[in-house]
Amino acid sequence: MPSNAPSTDRAPSGHDAGGAMIQVFRLCKDYGAFRHALSEVSFRVEPGEFVFLTGPSGAGKSTLLKLLFREELPTSGQILVNGRNIAVLPESQVPYFRRTLGVVFQDFKLIARKTIFENLSFVQSVLGLSRAEQKRRAYQALKRVGLHHRMNSHPGELSGGEQQRAAIALAIVNEPVLLLADEPTGNLDPVLSEEIMKLFLEINIRGTTVFVATHDVELIRRMGKRVVTIEKGKLRDRDLAREASLAREAPFLPG
Amino acid sequence: MNSRYLFGEAWAIARSAPRHTAMAVLLIALAFYVPGLFALVSRNLARLASAAADPTAAILTLDPAADARAIAARVAGDARVARVTIVGSAAAFERFRKAYPDLGAALEDLEEAPFPPTIEVALKRSAPPSAARELARAARSWPGVDSAESEEEFARKFRDGVRILRGAGLFLGSLLAIAAILSVASAVRLALDLHRDEIDIMRRMGATEAAIRAPFWLHAFFEGLAGGALSVALLYATYRGAVSLLAREPHPVLSIFWVGFLDLPTALALPAVGAAAGLVGSLLSLSKRPKA
Repeated sequence: MPSNAPSTDRAPSGHDAGGAMIQVFRLCKDYGAFRHALSEVSFRVEPGEFVFLTGPSGAGKSTLLKLLFREELPTSGQILVNGRNIAVLPESQVPYFRRTLGVVFQDFKLIARKTIFENLSFVQSVLGLSRAEQKRRAYQALKRVGLHHRMNSHPGELSGGEQQRAAIALAIVNEPVLLLADEPTGNLDPVLSEEIMKLFLEINIRGTTVFVATHDVELIRRMGKRVVTIEKGKLRDRDLAREASLAREAPFLPG
Repeated sequence: MNSRYLFGEAWAIARSAPRHTAMAVLLIALAFYVPGLFALVSRNLARLASAAADPTAAILTLDPAADARAIAARVAGDARVARVTIVGSAAAFERFRKAYPDLGAALEDLEEAPFPPTIEVALKRSAPPSAARELARAARSWPGVDSAESEEEFARKFRDGVRILRGAGLFLGSLLAIAAILSVASAVRLALDLHRDEIDIMRRMGATEAAIRAPFWLHAFFEGLAGGALSVALLYATYRGAVSLLAREPHPVLSIFWVGFLDLPTALALPAVGAAAGLVGSLLSLSKRPKA
């Protein structure tokens, strides 16, 4: 945890990251003394935006997502997500913060012994929702990804594309404000990748901010959305100036 | 977190590694069976010990034809004696039947009273410790006296024996309880390993650590409870087996004291302690944040 971090996870009045969904400021993440995964990374993502995070393998994309998801803590710098400084978020608050996010991974992360519907209702039951609410939300999420007809299938019975759609349904079942995806099309062919991206677009159109990490440059080009590029743990030069000016626009908590 | 999730997941954890669950339950049952057996034996022995704790200092066993009253009067003449009681064959038999009602059915078949007449001697408080031994030694030479024994030594040794038995039971029980706790801990660890993906997903979806751990706690609690209950069932089976064996083939010593099962609080304590051991085991294995 940064040593000079403020004691509250809420941005103080007038310092609410200018309403940004994600605001990262001079973010550094080191693994030991010699491995710098991220160095001085700053950028912001507005609510309702669809942003790609790209860069070569090992550039630091997954590390950045883990930091955004509060799976790891930064070495220094700040991260505001939906108005919360998650670097100083108390451990006890992390689950409640995560309930506002959805996360999609390359390897789907579905429970093999449960049907797709049970996968979705299971996580709802963990969160203490009523049975009726679990069913309603699970069905709606599956319908949104076009998988309601396979809701009684187990993950092993689904194709790769269907599994990823199920994983997306799992990520959106909590109706998150921000959807993070780490190489969501990494295991899929181009046709299925396109299908998954359309799903993300639909989710984005309904108001959810989408932040997708991928190294599929062709896919990014076809989508025509904003791109943040990381190379060797740093923001690429041509993104740097723009992101730095964006970061300056909104007042920020001291690092 | 609702109860449906809690119990459903605890059951799913048990089913995910049925062999390990069964093994943990068996180990807990064994861990509580051994001290339970000691408790059963010592409880029955203690009944005899409490009888031996009677102030009777010496017992004179008489020939069936002896004049019990004359011998009793002779004993009573000793200034150190406080009380002399003549116990006839029928009275001794009746007293035994009252003390050990569980053996009633077996005793009904006896054609004649199995106990010879005796004289019980109680000494005054002021009598020296050696008085009982001296009295018994003197009485052995009297006509009509078959044998005479000082009871003090026996009663002391008997009480010591029961105490040692209880201590050994507690010691072994403690060791086995630790083994049971460790076995639950390892079963929970294995269950955690088998559910890594689910824990990962739950955590990413915003489940609290309590919600993630609670099914494992519950699983271990029931594992311990089942193990403790199984140990009571095994102890009861052992007890019934021994009773039926002793009824078929009476043993001169065992038949006397093997007459009662564990009292209710002890019998209920075994599953309760088992459940507690399960909880402790799960707390041990979940003391660190489960890895996803």
